[in-house]
Amino acid sequence: MAKGGYVGKILYVDLTTGKTEDIPTEQYQDWGGGHGIGAALFWDRVSDKTVDGFDPNNLVCFMTSPMSGTGAPSASGRTEITGIGVQAYPIGWFTRSNFGGRWSAMLKYAGYDGVAIQGKAKSPVWLNIINGKVKIESAQDLWGLDTHEVQEEIWKTVLGDLDNRDWFDMSKTRDGGRTTQKPAVVCIGPAGENKNRNACVIHDAGNSGGQGGFGGVLGAKNLKAISVLGTGSVPVADAAALIAIRNEIRNKFGYNVDDPTREVPVPGVPMYGTTTNEPGYGGLAWIADEPQRPQGCQGCFKNCRRSFASGKANGNSCIESIFWTQSGVVSEQMEATTLVDQLGINAYDLNKGHDYLYALYKQGIIGPGKQIESNLPWEKYNTYEFIEALLHAIAEGTDIGKDLREGITRAAVKWGRYEEDTKSGLLARPNWGYTEHYDPRLEVEWSYGSIFGDRDINEHGVNWYVHWMPLVCVVVGQDPPMTAEELTKHMAEATGVGDPKGWDYSAEGIYADSKLKAVAWHRHYSRFWIQSMLFCDWAWPQLASFNTEDGKGATPDYEVRIYKAVTGEDLTYEDSLEIGRKIWNLGRAIWTLQGRTRDMEVFAGYVYDQPTSAPYPLPIIKDGQWVYDANIGRTLDREKFEDVKTRFYTLEGWDPKTGWPTREGLTKVGLGRVADELEAAKKLGVGAQ
Amino acid sequence: MSESEDRRLTAVEGGAADKTMSRRGFIASVGGLGLGAFLGGLAVKGFILPDTVIAVPASKGYLLVDTKKCGGCETCMLVCSLAHHGKSNPTLSRIQITRNPFGKFPDDLEQIQCRQCPSPACVDVCPTGAMHVDSANGNVRTVDERKCIGCEKCVYACPFTPSRALWNHEDKHAQKCDLCVDTPHWNEDGGPDGKQACVESCPLRAITFTTQTPIQQEKGYMVNLRNNHWNWLSFDTTDLGREAEFKLPARPAAPSAEASKE
Repeated sequence: MAKGGYVGKILYVDLTTGKTEDIPTEQYQDWGGGHGIGAALFWDRVSDKTVDGFDPNNLVCFMTSPMSGTGAPSASGRTEITGIGVQAYPIGWFTRSNFGGRWSAMLKYAGYDGVAIQGKAKSPVWLNIINGKVKIESAQDLWGLDTHEVQEEIWKTVLGDLDNRDWFDMSKTRDGGRTTQKPAVVCIGPAGENKNRNACVIHDAGNSGGQGGFGGVLGAKNLKAISVLGTGSVPVADAAALIAIRNEIRNKFGYNVDDPTREVPVPGVPMYGTTTNEPGYGGLAWIADEPQRPQGCQGCFKNCRRSFASGKANGNSCIESIFWTQSGVVSEQMEATTLVDQLGINAYDLNKGHDYLYALYKQGIIGPGKQIESNLPWEKYNTYEFIEALLHAIAEGTDIGKDLREGITRAAVKWGRYEEDTKSGLLARPNWGYTEHYDPRLEVEWSYGSIFGDRDINEHGVNWYVHWMPLVCVVVGQDPPMTAEELTKHMAEATGVGDPKGWDYSAEGIYADSKLKAVAWHRHYSRFWIQSMLFCDWAWPQLASFNTEDGKGATPDYEVRIYKAVTGEDLTYEDSLEIGRKIWNLGRAIWTLQGRTRDMEVFAGYVYDQPTSAPYPLPIIKDGQWVYDANIGRTLDREKFEDVKTRFYTLEGWDPKTGWPTREGLTKVGLGRVADELEAAKKLGVGAQ
Repeated sequence: MSESEDRRLTAVEGGAADKTMSRRGFIASVGGLGLGAFLGGLAVKGFILPDTVIAVPASKGYLLVDTKKCGGCETCMLVCSLAHHGKSNPTLSRIQITRNPFGKFPDDLEQIQCRQCPSPACVDVCPTGAMHVDSANGNVRTVDERKCIGCEKCVYACPFTPSRALWNHEDKHAQKCDLCVDTPHWNEDGGPDGKQACVESCPLRAITFTTQTPIQQEKGYMVNLRNNHWNWLSFDTTDLGREAEFKLPARPAAPSAEASKE
C-alpha cells in the first residue's frame, strides 16, 4: 500500500437491500484511482456487462484519486463517475463523467476513497456520509426540489441551525473533529428524477457531471443525493515536497495576478486565459457587468471560474455558461445557466441542440399542428421566456420535452430525421450521438479518441495548445507567442511521443502513423492522469508554457513528482502510460461485450461529406514548413479513416478485423482474466495475421 | 492620521477603551458581533487599537487577507495542515475559508485568519500557560503542546466566530496560527521573521504578511491587494462595501507594471 494519498476503503452500497460494505482500496490500488478503480469494480461486480444503464444492476462509482483532498495542484477536487451510461447512441456504452469542486476531497476526509452504488431503492433516498458512518435517508421530502434547493435542505439537515461560519462539532466529543465547511453534496434535479438521458449530476454551484446521463441513472436508482462531511486527514508521503512543487508551479507556470508576465491586450476576452492561466477565464467568451471574483475548485493553482454579485452562474464555466446566448443579454444568459443547473440538465445536449430545434421550427417541421407538435413559444426563440419554457419542458417531459428527455439525438431518431440531419450537418453529432465539441474533420485526436472510445472525450490538454492558442491570438490580433514548429517540438518532447508530426493536422498528417501514436498517447495519458489521478483537464497536461522563457511546460516531470510526493511510490512516466493503456483496454473489453464492432466506429455523414467552412487554426506542415493554418474546405476521407482504424487497432493490440482486444494485447497489460471472459463470450480478437 | 481614521479612533476611545476595563472585557467588546454593532457595520473601515490596554507584548507579525481577492480554492487550508502536520486536512488548518456556493459576491465567502490579538483572550484563559506569547518567535501567540491539558478553554475564549483557536482532534491538543513557526513539513523558515505557507501558496496572492499593527475591521485584518491588473481581468477592485463603484474596465491599453504599483 502506498504511504499516502489513499484513506483505505471504498464504500459499496446496495440500494435494493440497504446493505453497505467496505471494500479495501488496497485490492484495487494497481488501477490508481478514479476511472481505473471504477472500471475494475464494474468488471468484478457486474457479471452481465450488457446491463442497461437504467437497470438496477448497473454499478455507478463516484471515485476519488490519491490526489483528492491533498492540495495536489489542480488535481485535488475532481470526482470521476463510471458506469453504464444512457446518453450514447445507439448503445449506452460503459462510460464516465467528471466534475470539479470539493466533493472528492470531502469524501476522503469522511474516510472513503470512493462510493460504488448498485441496486434501486424502493422509494427516494439520499446517502448521508459523516466520518465513516453511512445512513440511507428518506428523500421523500427532497424529491421534486431543484439541485440548489436540495443541497440547501441537506446542509440544514446535517448542520442544524448553526451559524453559517461557526465550527460544526461532528460528534460532541474530543475525537470527532470540527469543521467550518458545509457538507459536499452531489445531487440530481427534476431531469434526473424523470430519468432523462440528458440529466446531469450537480455539486455546489456549477460543478456538473453531464455526459453519459448519470443524472437519469441515479434517478432510476431513486437516489437523490450523496452528502459527505468529514474531518479526517489524508496522509501525504512527503508534505514538504508537495508544498514545494505547488509553489514552483504557481510561480513558474501560473499567472501572477499582481504583475503578470503575459497579459490580455484588451479587456473582456477571458479566452485569452487559455494561454496565460489567468483566473476567471472559464467563461471563455463572456464577462458580466457586475462585481465578481475568481472561484476555484479545491487546490487549483488557476481558479478559472467566477462568482458574481447576483449569485447567478456562480462557478459555471465553459459550455454551461454559454449554451444559450440568444437574447444577447448577459444577465439572461446567466439566468439560463443557473436554471439548466437547477433543473439538472446536461447543457452540452442543448449546445448545437436548441438551435437545431429552432431550425426545424423555421422549416415548418416543429410547431403547433406541425409534424412535430409543440406549443412552446418558438416565435420568441431569442428571449429568455423561450429557453425557460424549453428547459422546463425537457426536465418535466412535457410538450416536446416528452421526446427531448431522451436526448436530442434519440429525439431526432424518433422523428426520422437523424440520418438526414447528421449527413447535412444540421445536427452536428459526429460520434455516439454526442454534440460536436471540436471539429472532427481536423482536430482528430479528439474525434478519433471519441469514436474509439465511448463519448465525446472532453480532454483539453492538447486542444489548448494546438487550437485555442493560435485562435485567441487571432481574436486579439497578436502573433502567436510560439511558432508552430516550436510548439510541436515541445509537445513531442513533453508527451514522450518524440515526433512533432504527431501534431501535424494537415490533410495528410491526420492519417499518418505519427498521428496515431499521438492519439494512442492521448488515450493512455488521459485514462491515467486525467481520469484516474483526476488531474484537471483544464490544467493538465502542460505540454508547453507561454509564461516561461524556454517555453517548456510542466509535463511530464511534475506529474511524476506530484505522484511521488503524495503516495511515496516511484512511478516512471512510461509506467504511468502503461497503467493508462491497461485502463483503456479494460474499457475496450467492456464495449466489446456490449456489442461494439469495427463497423460501428464510423462518424456521422457530415464529417465525411461536408467540407469545413470556417477558419479553424491548427498547426500543419505546408510545403515543408510548419504554419498555423485556417484549414478551410477539409473533410475526413472515408477510405483513409478505415485504414486509420486498421493501423490504430494494430497499434493498440486489437484485432484489425473486429476491433476487439486480443489475448496477446490484454496479457501484455496484465488482463489475462479479461481475455478469458471475452473468449467465453466468443468476442476475443485474433490479432493481426 | 487621516480625518476618517481620527474619527474612528475617537469613537473607540469614547466607548470601549475605558482604562478600568479588563483585557478580556475589552476584547469581548470589540470582538465579533460586539465590534460590528459598535462600529455600525462595514461602512466604517476600522480603527487602531489604543496602546493603553495592551498588557502583553504585541505580535511582531500579522496575516492580512483580502477576502474580495480570494477564490475559495482552500489551498491555504491544505498547505497549512501539510506544513504543520504533514497531512492534508482542512479541519486542522489554522486559516479557514467559509463559502456559500450560491451566495452573492462579496458575501459568498470569508477568509478567517487569527489576528494575533493585542490582548489575546486565548492566552489569558489558558490555565497552564500552554497557550502563550512566544517571545522567542516574535511574540506570536501559540500553543506549547506539551503543556496543553485539553481543556479547550482557549477555543471557547476566542471572541471571534469561528474560533481561531482549534482543537486538534487527531493529536489531542489545542493549536492556532503561529505564523508558521512550527512547520516541520515545510522547506522554508516560517514565523514572524520568515515566511508563511499560506502567503507563499495562495494562487491569487490574496494573503499577505505585515509587521505593522494592522487596522482592525469587523471581519479581520483586511487589506485591498487588488491592483489594475486585477481590474483588467474584469474583477472588482473596490474596497469592501464599495461594490456599487465597480466598473468594467474599458481602457485602451493594458496596465503597465508601473501602473500596478499605484
